[in-house]
Amino acid sequence: MANKEVLDNASLQRALTRITYEIIERNKGGQDLVLVGIKTRGEFLAHRIASRLEQLEEVKIPVMAIDITNFRDDVLNHDDSLGLNDEERTNIADKNIVLIDDVLFTGRTIRAALDALIHIGRPKTISLAVLVDRGHRELPIRADFVGKNIPTAQNEKIKVFVQEIDGRDAVEIVH
Amino acid sequence: MSNITTNKEIKKVLFIGAGSNDFGREAEHDAAIYQVMPELRGHGVEVFVIDENPYALSLESLAATTFWQQLTVENIKKIIREHHIDTVAPLFGGQSSLRLWAEVVQSWAYGDGTMPNTLGLSIDMLLKVNNLPVLTAFMSEHGLPVINNYVLKAQDEANELLRELQLPLMVRALHPNQTNTRHVVERLDDFEDAINLAKVQSVTQEVIISRAINGLKEVSLEVLRDFRGNKMQIGASEDMDPIGIHTSDSLSVSPILTIQDQLIGKMRDYAFRVADMLQLQGIMHVQFAVDDETRRIYIIKVSPYIDQMATRMALATGYPTMLVAVNLAMGIALEDIVLPHNFGVNAAMMEPMMDHVVVKLPVFPFGELSEAGVSVKRQLNSVQKSIGTTLGFGRTFIEALEKAIRSAHFNNASFSPTNMANINDDELIQQLIHPQDNRVLLLIEAIKRGYEIDELAELTAIDEFYFYQLQHLHTLEVEIEADTDNIESLRRGKRYGLSDGLLARFWHTDFNIIRTLAKENSINVSYKAVEPSAGEFPENARQYYATYETENESVQIHDNAVLVIGSGAFRMGDAASGGYATTITLSELRRLQYPTIIMNNNPSDATLLPHLADKQYLEPLEISDVMRVVELEKPQFIVIPGNRRKLIKALRNLGQRVVILPKERHTPNGPNENQSEFALNLFYDGHDSYPINLTQHMAGEMRIIPQIAKMPDDLLATHIDNPGVYQVIWYQNTTHWKEHVDTSNIGHDTWLRPMPFGQVAYLTKAMQIQWIRLTIRAATNEMTEEDNAMLSTINQRLTTEQIGVIASDVNYRLHLQPSKVIDGTRFEIGVSVKHYG
Amino acid sequence: MMKRHLILEDGTIFQGLGFGSPATTFGEIIFHTAMTGYQEIITDPIYDGQMIVFAMPVIGAGGIHAEAYESVKPTISGMIVHDLAEVSVNRQRRMNLDRFLKQHNIPGLYQVDTRQLIRHLRETGPQKATIVDYADEHAVDQLVATVLTNKQVQNTATPKPYANPGRGRHIVVIDFGLKHGILRMLGDYDANVSVLPYTTSVEEVLTLDPDGIILSTGPGDPRTLPESVLTLIRVLQSKVPMLGIGLGHELFALANGAELKPLPSEHHGMNHPIQEIISRQIFYAMQGQGYAVDGETINRKKLFVTYRDLVDGAVQGLRHREFPAFSVQFFPDAAPGPLEATAVFADFFETVEDYVEHYN
Repeated sequence: MANKEVLDNASLQRALTRITYEIIERNKGGQDLVLVGIKTRGEFLAHRIASRLEQLEEVKIPVMAIDITNFRDDVLNHDDSLGLNDEERTNIADKNIVLIDDVLFTGRTIRAALDALIHIGRPKTISLAVLVDRGHRELPIRADFVGKNIPTAQNEKIKVFVQEIDGRDAVEIVH
Repeated sequence: MSNITTNKEIKKVLFIGAGSNDFGREAEHDAAIYQVMPELRGHGVEVFVIDENPYALSLESLAATTFWQQLTVENIKKIIREHHIDTVAPLFGGQSSLRLWAEVVQSWAYGDGTMPNTLGLSIDMLLKVNNLPVLTAFMSEHGLPVINNYVLKAQDEANELLRELQLPLMVRALHPNQTNTRHVVERLDDFEDAINLAKVQSVTQEVIISRAINGLKEVSLEVLRDFRGNKMQIGASEDMDPIGIHTSDSLSVSPILTIQDQLIGKMRDYAFRVADMLQLQGIMHVQFAVDDETRRIYIIKVSPYIDQMATRMALATGYPTMLVAVNLAMGIALEDIVLPHNFGVNAAMMEPMMDHVVVKLPVFPFGELSEAGVSVKRQLNSVQKSIGTTLGFGRTFIEALEKAIRSAHFNNASFSPTNMANINDDELIQQLIHPQDNRVLLLIEAIKRGYEIDELAELTAIDEFYFYQLQHLHTLEVEIEADTDNIESLRRGKRYGLSDGLLARFWHTDFNIIRTLAKENSINVSYKAVEPSAGEFPENARQYYATYETENESVQIHDNAVLVIGSGAFRMGDAASGGYATTITLSELRRLQYPTIIMNNNPSDATLLPHLADKQYLEPLEISDVMRVVELEKPQFIVIPGNRRKLIKALRNLGQRVVILPKERHTPNGPNENQSEFALNLFYDGHDSYPINLTQHMAGEMRIIPQIAKMPDDLLATHIDNPGVYQVIWYQNTTHWKEHVDTSNIGHDTWLRPMPFGQVAYLTKAMQIQWIRLTIRAATNEMTEEDNAMLSTINQRLTTEQIGVIASDVNYRLHLQPSKVIDGTRFEIGVSVKHYG
Repeated sequence: MMKRHLILEDGTIFQGLGFGSPATTFGEIIFHTAMTGYQEIITDPIYDGQMIVFAMPVIGAGGIHAEAYESVKPTISGMIVHDLAEVSVNRQRRMNLDRFLKQHNIPGLYQVDTRQLIRHLRETGPQKATIVDYADEHAVDQLVATVLTNKQVQNTATPKPYANPGRGRHIVVIDFGLKHGILRMLGDYDANVSVLPYTTSVEEVLTLDPDGIILSTGPGDPRTLPESVLTLIRVLQSKVPMLGIGLGHELFALANGAELKPLPSEHHGMNHPIQEIISRQIFYAMQGQGYAVDGETINRKKLFVTYRDLVDGAVQGLRHREFPAFSVQFFPDAAPGPLEATAVFADFFETVEDYVEHYN
């Protein structure tokens, strides 16, 4: 059975654009801003937002990616490397962090990312941007910037496709 | 896996040509490839091209390594392997080239090495595009309006569909046990019967139901897309004829005149979505069926490659279509495309606007065939019958139509208005419902007989606008005819594009009298530029068309320019050779540094490519059209194909210097099945004749005889008028290929004629000697020492490679349903190379 | 059809045949290169009092349709075309362009060498013009003496509030002479629309508790409007998501301290590439403008430039740095014009939703 496309290429682009404007609106021009993408797709989205900021403001905003597989509360054996080098770790102190992920679901991934960020440095603020908020939160976490709210059933899956790995941009509900 | 092709990966590109000419395949692909190869070369890419067509100009391009070989999977793989091709460009060769490349891709094996990239489409999409049911399903999945086919067995399923799809519906048998089971159901009462009938006609008792779209309007949009997903529309046209008549056989009009902005906007949106869906980098033609009343739109065909619409729109708008298309395919963004300086800075990104009307008329082979006693089915339907295309440019629909008719149908008896008067009313109605090639005159005849416009629109499914226009034309003609020698009438007539010839006929006089009368009364032609900004920006245009208005924009280009008269549409017998000869002529004149001007009206060959001439007149080629251009441009000489005898005479009478490209009016003859036609080929440089070689021509195939040709003494004395390639031909009753023929007795039962352009193209490629260029040099006294040296020994040179040409297998039965077998040698449409031995 | 004349202020005279109303008319003459949508264009209030020359060579072939009106009553002062197509497609009323213009007392002129006229106007810029029966000295004097109105907004904007109810978000449209396309687009989102005169006070607007504000399109020079309009915008933009379109965009710019400058050449058409700066995407839209926001005068601490015309470099869109307020110079309602521009409305409604979600 065919998947249902809920965001096509154009609306996905628009969502990223709007998130970018809102980040600027709420960060007064983007001083001390650092974008942190949650691997894998969040990282590409973070770079997209950074390049939009660059087009608009003609400044380069630092982007880093974190891999939180090892920080999930349902996974034992915390490894604190997160794939970051030392310089990147110190970088986030006193910065305004925008954490970026593709889908916000239970909130556990975000919680792990927050743990990880606080673990490696002490940012000034952390806000959250997601391309899709599909509901069903299990933790008191909400996104500051949302591309699109897509109400879903528990048993449905949301799949985000990005040009960089999937060859196209789209969000689909997978049956 | 990314689909984005970047410059850096591309080092060696192979173009796959379109192959031999056929119905729906004139020289547009070759023209496109010929135009874009130097552009790619400019990007530092090494370019290769393969084609089998002897008329392929791209095979004579200096920008590429060329392969004149049959278009087979093996030959393509071999070139890829031996030349380390990293990228293949199939989209410029159109559908046949795309199909062939898909075959190569599908047969690609481990031992073949790394598969090259495809320029413009990913392999995945290429294969989808090549498989119609898959493509249709893919579009449907993307929410695009396509015509879905539903297969069903039971009546109640059919009833469900009836409610869902609504009438009219097309019902036909799945796995039919006879050829035509299509049935369009327009009334509820017929539905059950149609289903039952189709079931009986189906081997599996299954029926296919789809929405019927016959009678809807057919609209074409041409769009571009770059790798960033930027899209633009670069042309649109509507067919006057409804769906049910093949679009190539339809009268088409640009810009779209009768459809509202909202519907056009929707079609544009659909076309863009298809381009995104295919992740296209390049150009695409999308055809739609449009229902004005219900505002429904269906996508009926998607062609993400060069076709006749692409070349027609390029000419109609002045937009640099091919140059942009190849840049997009190379992975260059729209905003980064750099065009040659004769285009505006932003020309690539600005959607072309038109302030003129372009009418396309198809050219049918019926006249030539009936002269030879072959009768064919003239009724137009969904199978293409036309073989050529002409354009008429004007500032009104009527003016453009009149010019297109003059371009397409000179010398065509079925277009004689007197013919129409003989049709009785029953026949008239029959032909209105089942139109033939001459339907425009038929429509005028119907108006003449007082049919109401509503009624005609209903009968023909043609938009009322066209009947209002034709009615206007009819009134105009009646008034002018009744108003002999009235200057205001003359002015009105000229304004609507009526030719001097037609006005002369109305007033029972000679076209020269009309010309003089117009001149004496300052009714002067004004040429307008064809440029894509519709007057918004200062233009640097090279293309002009004639109209009768206040401001003339064309000024004499140069004191010493050369005017080349084109060969018009692709016609049976001449095939693509006329355009080939004209194009090479232009190229050689340019090489000799003459400022050049071309007059022509064929959008489907290379003659009107923007870079080939300094100026173009997009005009009919009747004497009065040529005269007006000559009066303005005062060329130092005029190059004309030798078959235009009246024109040559008229120009000479005016004291013009004429250079003749030797050519006879095509007389369809050639060897019959039991014969061979032998030819002793020679070149005449204006003083002397040089023997070239001997050729043998059997029905459908031609080869060079490996024998040194000698000029018989009696022939040396024969007077030839113009420099060029000639041949002495004779027939023998043999069907064996000869290694040697006796030429001692030549002069008996033989005759001398200019070598047909088709054979000139063959000898040019087989011998690697540019005979048309040499002809031009001889005619302009520009022959070089090397030329003379070459000619004096040319007959000693025996071609070692055994290359012949063979008439291609054109499916006349499908297209024309002829009364008897059509001989491919006499009615050549397509030819390709054949290696033998 | 009768021979009539078009006289330009610079003394150039064109001859043609009259259609529509036989009256004498005065107006500023401009040219339009769009190939579709003549009915929408001549009924668009932004062309109030202007005379439009069409580059499209054949006009009228599509007749007149009920769904293609951009205002109830067209107020252009004249229409100049090359070839007039006589078509009646409206079966009940047998309405065609000629009859339509007669009905609305608008003179038209056809069989004019419009290409020559456009090539002339692109050099001179817009100017006063008149369509008369006789091109005599009297007519020229009349033209020179005529002072064209600068009260186009007052002529076309609604004097009274009205509603266009829907079940979705509440959108207040401040009307400067809006085209129907805006209401049609809002209808697509099922918005509950209140159209208010531009003289409405801040309190009156806020009392209606809008979810979003649209500053509509309109004719003429925005600098002729009272200062109170700019104050209204300055207050509202900080409270409710806002979208300015056309004249509304120019007002949004003025309210935030930017200035306008005349374009090197006026642009009326739909073929210029417009680039969204943030994504570099190019698209096309209907444009009709003689002025643009002067990029030099934009306070970058307050506003971003969001869109640019890649042909003349003109600013095509702005966005406030601190508020969810933005504006576009082009017409995103696609009536007529490319549909891709309608994404601006999607942006607006997403912003409205987001705002409602976050702040209410």
